[in-house]
Amino acid sequence: MSKEARLGGVSAEPDAEVREDHRIGLPAIFAAFFWLGVTSFGGNTAAWLYHQIVQRRHWVKDAEFLSDVALGRIVPGSGGVNLTVQVGQRLRGAAGAVAAVVGLLSGPLVIVLALAAAYTRIGWSPAVHAVLDGIAAAAIGLTFATGLKLLPSGSARLIPLAVGLATVLCVSVLRWPMLPVVLGLAPISVGLALVQGRNA
Amino acid sequence: MPDDFRTLLALVFVFVPLSLLSIGGGASLLADMEHQSVTVHGWTTARDFADLFAISRAAPGPGTMLSALIGWEAAGWAGAVTATIALYLPSSLLVYGAARLWGRWRGSIWHAAVERGLAPIAAGLILSGGIAVLRVSPGGAAVWMAAVAAMVLLLRWPRLHPLVLFAAGGAGFGLASAAGLR
Repeated sequence: MSKEARLGGVSAEPDAEVREDHRIGLPAIFAAFFWLGVTSFGGNTAAWLYHQIVQRRHWVKDAEFLSDVALGRIVPGSGGVNLTVQVGQRLRGAAGAVAAVVGLLSGPLVIVLALAAAYTRIGWSPAVHAVLDGIAAAAIGLTFATGLKLLPSGSARLIPLAVGLATVLCVSVLRWPMLPVVLGLAPISVGLALVQGRNA
Repeated sequence: MPDDFRTLLALVFVFVPLSLLSIGGGASLLADMEHQSVTVHGWTTARDFADLFAISRAAPGPGTMLSALIGWEAAGWAGAVTATIALYLPSSLLVYGAARLWGRWRGSIWHAAVERGLAPIAAGLILSGGIAVLRVSPGGAAVWMAAVAAMVLLLRWPRLHPLVLFAAGGAGFGLASAAGLR
């Protein structure tokens, strides 16, 4: 880390957020996110993206992924699409973001219209609904497994673990609106991280 | 075709504001989308809207692909593409700008602290997302149990491919339905 960086200065590199090595090409980004789009059932793009992009391809780190999840949920818009914009940008700048989002959305756009056409022609049997329920259930299981894996663990991580569980408590059990919960917990959590970083 | 063009323009004027107001994810958009497309513009009936919502949930991808279906009902292919772009482009530009701005401070002490502080909140939000989807699922207790079973399998065997579980879940529920169990 440079002296300037340690003092809390602004990074001198204008494009520091873009990967230095441009080994991951735009077609590869498009292809990865296209596959992600057509296989992300159950509306939980983040968990599926973590599995495909972070765990299997190692294109971004856990910490980068979580940072993008958080910002993606604070900013308006679909959390999954916002996450895709940021990961694409990390991989290849503006072009990477476009390739990732177009890749993510183009497949589902065609599929959803095809489903609508099929639905108006032939209708759906209860068995189709049951199959969709089963796929959705497995996708939710993936989401839970991903969230639990990313929750901090170990004796030294008690405070972050408590913050993560408090988030679930406020949003899912007490059912408070997400934005105030995040804006309320974030200063506490960041402050504790700052103190911990100074002691370390 | 000025009429078609007017419809596309109306789609833009409906979905661009929704894009920028949809804080907290797509689910909060649903009521607004229904009001605009059923009551205000008459692009679809209330009954059809419920069907379109069910179809959008069945398709892969972000849950808000409902916008494409509304666009389709209003103006065919051009409408579907217009509505999709109108819903996703403004918020994407916003998050792109925010991420670039945020990246400028990379390397500073507080940048690292903010990222470390937000990480557990992000993990909690992923869990909450799963619970939110379970809550609106029409499948009942069987879906809850299958979700927990899939979670346990994935935690126990992390190398298990999720698509295998997706297929098993779909097949299991489909067979149970065919056998009259559900």
